Amino acid sequence: MKTEFLRPIDGFHLSQEHRALLRPGEKETDFSGNVHRLPRFFYEITSWQQAKEIRLAPHFTLAELTLVDCREARPLLSQFPHYVPCAIVLLATFLENLRREVDAPVFISANGGYRSPSHHIGGAQSIHAWSTAANIYRIGDTFLSDAKAIEKYRAIAASLSPAVFVRPFGREQGQTDDHLHVDLGYVSLTPRECSEAS
Amino acid sequence: MSPTNDVSTDLREQLETIRVRSKSRAIAVALHDLHTGFRFSLSGDRRFHAASTIKVAVLLAIFRAADEGRFQADDSLHVRNRFFSAADGSVFHVDPERDATPELYESVGRTAKISVLAHAMISGSSNLATNLLLDFIGVKYARKVLSEAGLDGVELRRGVEDHLAHERGVNNEATADGLLKLMSAIRGDFLTEESKRSVIRILLEQRFNSMIPAGLPKHATVAHKTGEISTACHDIGIVYLPEREPYIAAILTEFDPDKDGRRETVAAISETIYHFLLGREIQLK
Repeated sequence: MKTEFLRPIDGFHLSQEHRALLRPGEKETDFSGNVHRLPRFFYEITSWQQAKEIRLAPHFTLAELTLVDCREARPLLSQFPHYVPCAIVLLATFLENLRREVDAPVFISANGGYRSPSHHIGGAQSIHAWSTAANIYRIGDTFLSDAKAIEKYRAIAASLSPAVFVRPFGREQGQTDDHLHVDLGYVSLTPRECSEAS
Repeated sequence: MSPTNDVSTDLREQLETIRVRSKSRAIAVALHDLHTGFRFSLSGDRRFHAASTIKVAVLLAIFRAADEGRFQADDSLHVRNRFFSAADGSVFHVDPERDATPELYESVGRTAKISVLAHAMISGSSNLATNLLLDFIGVKYARKVLSEAGLDGVELRRGVEDHLAHERGVNNEATADGLLKLMSAIRGDFLTEESKRSVIRILLEQRFNSMIPAGLPKHATVAHKTGEISTACHDIGIVYLPEREPYIAAILTEFDPDKDGRRETVAAISETIYHFLLGREIQLK
């Protein structure tokens, strides 16, 4: 696993522009009305090439879990370094477990991994801003776009950990009909070399 | 009656002959010859289902948004076949079987550049690309752009293949005069020079050439967009000919469902316009 280039950063020490966009440690209310603190510690990514080279797990690169479209805030889209919450390594570990269980490649959609709190889809209310959620649009040759496929892999994903939440198939709020949404909850990770004293 | 009206009458009569022969429900034609300044409108204010000609309105709005700095043409969008009906907000999907750009569906889950989607929307008339772009900028914004461009005859209300909206009468509509203004706006100074060049280049790469271009000699090039549904068959375009300024034509037709000869009717109208304008040009010399 190629992760030696990951450098943890305390979000409180970021530039004012990045703090405004990433809002490290700030409180945010989710869609259910619960309050959570946004991630404070990030890995710094210096280039897209680096993101493609860094493997967070044997079959998942950092790039795959951070691919966003132009609905992301412009400075976070076009300028490096990028900052990704440290909990993304936990997501990658879970996805690797899922891949092992289904014995097939697991494909994460664009905008389906980490999205910043400033991303125009969901923003800070979305659990994707914690980097602990993934939208899987395909497993092996199967596109997850019908009830049968989504419910089959939902059962498998949910069986891997009681901490995992997988949205059911459907077209109502909180359901999905063209991908499998999995998340680990509002997990924040503090690297052992970082302090939360301030 | 002025001489201009006299020649208009000639053209009007020729088009009426085509209409009767084709057994169409209606035809409408709007024309502006930039070489002579000649303008013509037949049933130019009659409303038709816009079909895929509405994609030119989306194209205009996309490049206007780019000009305003909202995004860059080489930015990427998430390709997702999931849209919300203008009727009630319910989810609908577009049908890959009905799309001339099946390759775009292979990108579902990944991203595609806005410039690539714009090209697919026009040259291949991709419904998926159209809805992705319109979903991105929003119908409200696109309507604002059309209003700013003074396009009162182009009514953009929703994306394409929104069957529920169609059943409830929420449709994109256009008049020949409105679509002529739309093509004129593209050619005018509404967009930046760079965007204008990009838009015209995209329109020139149209893959469906059995209507306006089919009525023209081989040396003509046409920046255009067709539109067809069960009852409507249209083509709107800018016709470029050597050694003269172009002319802009909007040809709209309405037929009973499954009536044959619809494209041939538009091509015949195109041919009639061509001979009329060039004949008139010779007379003016």
